[in-house]
Amino acid sequence: MWSIQNILVYLALAGALFFLVKKYFFKKNKKMNGSDCGDSGCSGCH
Amino acid sequence: MSKPLNVALIGNPNTGKTSIFNLLTGLNQKVGNYPGITVEKKEGTCRLPNGTKAHVVDLPGTYSLNASSADEQLVVETLLSKNKKDYPDVAVVVADVENLKRNLILFTQIKDLQIPAILVVNMADQMERRGISLDVAMLEKKIQSKVVLVSSRKRTGIEQLKNLLEDYRSLAVSKTIHMADIDHDYFDRLQQAFPEQDLYSLWLVVSQDVPLTKIDDELQSVNNYSERATPEIKRLQQKETIARYLFINRFLKDVYQVDSSKATDWRSLLDRVLTHRVGGYVAFFLVMLLIFQAIYNWSSVPMDFIDESFVRLSEWAGNHLPAGPFTSLLAEGIIPGIGGIVIFIPQIAFLFLFISLLEESGYMSRIVFLMDRVMRRFGLSGKSVVPLISGTACAIPAVMAARNIENWKERLITILVTPFTTCSARLPVYLIIIALVIPDRTILGFNLQGLTLMGLYALGFAMAVFSAFILDKILKNKARTFFVIEMPAYKLPLAKNVLYTVIEKTKSFIFGAGKIILAISIVLWFLASNGYSDDFYKADEIVRAQVENAQLSDEEMETAIASYQLRHSYIGILGHTIEPVIRPLGYDWKIGIALVTSFAAREVFVATLATIYSVGSDEEETIKVRMSTDTNARTGEKLFTFPTGISLLLFYAFAMQCMSTLAVVKKETNSWKWPLIQLVLMTGFAYLASMIAFQLLK
Repeated sequence: MWSIQNILVYLALAGALFFLVKKYFFKKNKKMNGSDCGDSGCSGCH
Repeated sequence: MSKPLNVALIGNPNTGKTSIFNLLTGLNQKVGNYPGITVEKKEGTCRLPNGTKAHVVDLPGTYSLNASSADEQLVVETLLSKNKKDYPDVAVVVADVENLKRNLILFTQIKDLQIPAILVVNMADQMERRGISLDVAMLEKKIQSKVVLVSSRKRTGIEQLKNLLEDYRSLAVSKTIHMADIDHDYFDRLQQAFPEQDLYSLWLVVSQDVPLTKIDDELQSVNNYSERATPEIKRLQQKETIARYLFINRFLKDVYQVDSSKATDWRSLLDRVLTHRVGGYVAFFLVMLLIFQAIYNWSSVPMDFIDESFVRLSEWAGNHLPAGPFTSLLAEGIIPGIGGIVIFIPQIAFLFLFISLLEESGYMSRIVFLMDRVMRRFGLSGKSVVPLISGTACAIPAVMAARNIENWKERLITILVTPFTTCSARLPVYLIIIALVIPDRTILGFNLQGLTLMGLYALGFAMAVFSAFILDKILKNKARTFFVIEMPAYKLPLAKNVLYTVIEKTKSFIFGAGKIILAISIVLWFLASNGYSDDFYKADEIVRAQVENAQLSDEEMETAIASYQLRHSYIGILGHTIEPVIRPLGYDWKIGIALVTSFAAREVFVATLATIYSVGSDEEETIKVRMSTDTNARTGEKLFTFPTGISLLLFYAFAMQCMSTLAVVKKETNSWKWPLIQLVLMTGFAYLASMIAFQLLK
């Protein structure tokens, strides 16, 4: 059980790191418009 | 039997066009669909005084002949199809007396198609109450057409309209503007390509976004014109609109006046108070006071419920799932991290509820108008008010909203100062710090915590305006832009619209921020639950062996071990490395970690602290309790004191803690220079302000 939990932890960590790196370092240079960030407010810098 | 007279009713939406249609046709009308599309077709008949039968078609409402929807496209196609049965012999353009200028744009376009047109100025019964005077004879002369004042509510003016319809052949069909004057080269080429056709009809075909299909055959070929749908078209459309406004402006001020001091309707009376140079600001202040008090007073019960629910969920996960690192990740990392943001749903929902009510009721436009007077003194455009106010939701769309400011200096200043306004990502940070360091008591009947939050919003706005003033002195450019805003009528907000806005905005906050917070919570938990030295892995032995710990109870010993282990985890080492830099501000290494992670997005601050304080701690305590009882390891005093709290609030009020905003500023200014200046100046100022505040207050 312990080893399965370890694997799950490392999978979660890898997923989280991949998401953050992709979001902040390899962000696609897409055209931004109102709908990219909510309509009049995206409510948070995400 | 002679062919009935074809009458087309055309007008902007909400001008009372359908009421006039009903008055003209009575019960002699039918409603169907236009062939092949789901646009409603309303047509009817009426008998004119001389016995002529008129076939009246109520065309869909449109602001101009530049179609952007199927409804509007249908209007353009009807007016360009001379050989179709619905082509009007005469167009009745219905205008609302309060928005005559905007309505005249459509009228001039129809005149330029050389269709005989009558201008109906509807809602004429409102003129006296609203202090409006209109010189009908002079207006008729200027637009070379007939004008009739109608009140569909009081059923006046309809007989006069019928008389004018009867006499439609006497209406002049002269043009108001000449397209060739807008751009000789382009329009000469267009006319030469189709010499048989009317130039304005050609222009309407080539300038539509979607090819017009239901028009006369001879115009169909224009759809294939090589210079159709090019970027140049949009520029020419703008020039056409400007030319039309210039034409209207030349005579409108002589024929149409609004004297609001003579107005007696409740809207004008309310406007006189809400936009008054003193009363307006007092009213605005009182409304803001009410909003921030309500945010605090109404949301405390649901917030406590959410906080306790997440604590119970965390406890349940820790006790019932199989023991191991993944269970710890869930109980100490993911659940507290998500809980740290979900807890703010009630306050964020209330904030958006009030913003939505202000917008829906029409009061927001008055606020923008009122603040324009202030803005101009600080080198900002009246148009800067919109980015500054929308910045209370998020700086990203607010920075993008500065695009409609024509003057580059005013636009640049607006972009640079907008991130000072309090965005909703700052709200969770403010709320938790205020709850920790500001007493929950009332002063003169007002909740002190609510007053503090309102003060922070005012501080952000004041800082934006002050920075604009400084930038105005530094940057050189004398050109100015003008601010025009149309005041919408006051109305009771529609519950559906308000609810939709609240749900959409809150959902956007939770799911948008939630993904980042979940990812950062996982990384933080890993860094807080692992280390590389014996100090971390043998924390139990080391702490128990220390002589000063010999007298500790079991519970105290567990806390001492967890604290020692956390200090020697990866995150503890990182935090201690940066601690000397932030110590003058009153922060310890835990706050330092939250400062670093929240550079990605401010709202991550609370989730970071929630995760750090959850690792190895008692699961029954709420995050707020853990933070309020935490002590500074170096001084032994409480960590979240009044001076530290104020220092943190000032840091988040001024610092440029948002990577996404920097990216948008780079995109909007097309240079890294401005976002870097913004980052260094804002964060540098935040550091200094926080340090001074802490050193003075401690």
